Amino acid sequence: MSDIILKLILESFFASIASIGFAMVFNVPKDSLKFCAFGGALTYMIRASLLNFGFGIEISTFVASTAIGIIALYWSRKYLIPRPVYTVASIIPMIPGTYAFTAMISLVDMNSHGVSPELIELFIENGLKAVAILGAISFGLALPSLYFMRLNRPVI
Amino acid sequence: MQEINYQHQTIITRAIIKAAVLMSEFGAESILIEQTAQRLGSALGINSVEISLIPSAIVLTTLYNNQSVTTTRRVHHKPINMSIVCDIQKIVISIEKNKYGVDYLADSLKDIEPNYYNRWLVVLMVGLACASFSYLQGADWVAFFITFLASSVAMYVRQELAKRRFVLIITFGVTALVATLIASISQLNNISETPNIALASSVLLLAPGFAFINSFLDSLKGYLSMGWGRWLEGILLTIATSIGIILAMAILDMKGW
Repeated sequence: MSDIILKLILESFFASIASIGFAMVFNVPKDSLKFCAFGGALTYMIRASLLNFGFGIEISTFVASTAIGIIALYWSRKYLIPRPVYTVASIIPMIPGTYAFTAMISLVDMNSHGVSPELIELFIENGLKAVAILGAISFGLALPSLYFMRLNRPVI
Repeated sequence: MQEINYQHQTIITRAIIKAAVLMSEFGAESILIEQTAQRLGSALGINSVEISLIPSAIVLTTLYNNQSVTTTRRVHHKPINMSIVCDIQKIVISIEKNKYGVDYLADSLKDIEPNYYNRWLVVLMVGLACASFSYLQGADWVAFFITFLASSVAMYVRQELAKRRFVLIITFGVTALVATLIASISQLNNISETPNIALASSVLLLAPGFAFINSFLDSLKGYLSMGWGRWLEGILLTIATSIGIILAMAILDMKGW
């Protein structure tokens, strides 16, 4: 059991490094970097532990991104910074980049090497996975602010 | 509040649309752009601000008593820069709080300095970030270091191309080519057990996360045309990246990840 927890902590440490790196590419303000790191670690930890309990990857991703969406709402009110600054950097470790690139590469392969059932399978499998995870992430992020939109006033 | 004549209203409209264009160019969400424009308008004494957003332009109308001023600006998309969006947000809040006039808005928009990090620090951190991705996907240490090397060099290339103001599509394609060429070291002599993880992780710095997330957020909040525009932008950047990868694979004569 302690092995799993240790592995989880180590992995979320690496996830927070990934979040910081991407936050720097987006040029976030310097004092929000630590929140991005914390958010990245948190989302990864939530998703990994839900995956460990046997939930599907879409549900786990959805729960993790809803959690960071709610937390970022609190941060953005406190520090007067738009929410995407925190949320996008935090969910970066969950972005299905590998799935999306594999799908696109198989599409280009189909053109150059001819269509084969394996390539179609590769494309549909990876493309669907990418879209489903992306949808889970963005729906989770949007949910908290959609809740506030009903009140018809700015989130911060 | 004194009367606003037509000239003054024109000046206010120009200042507001400048703020909106800056936000749109540097990657803010559509709802944030609209709210910023409306809050600025009511803080500066305008009755209402109506805004129409499409991916390549902004049309903005301010209404005051019986006069209305409409203006259009072209939006040129630039690399995402969140610090500028944050600065504009802070300007809006300080105008609302302290009742500053339109001169303050125009001056502070002119003075906005993007918060650039030291470029070598960014190269180092992006290298570490992609290496972390490879670790999370279960790469061994050789693949970890090769990913670090490949994505650091790729980030350096990306910065150089961005400095020369190339179109994003070319930047992404060339960067993916370089990253894949370097990451293919991991296939030489079987030095790594997991060469395909190194190949896949080293191009992750090009994943257009902001475009896709913003596209979904915009569509869910009712800005459908902006949502489609950003979706297409994300898809185009993904295709550009894939073409870079495919070119590198063709040069090295390897097949698939």
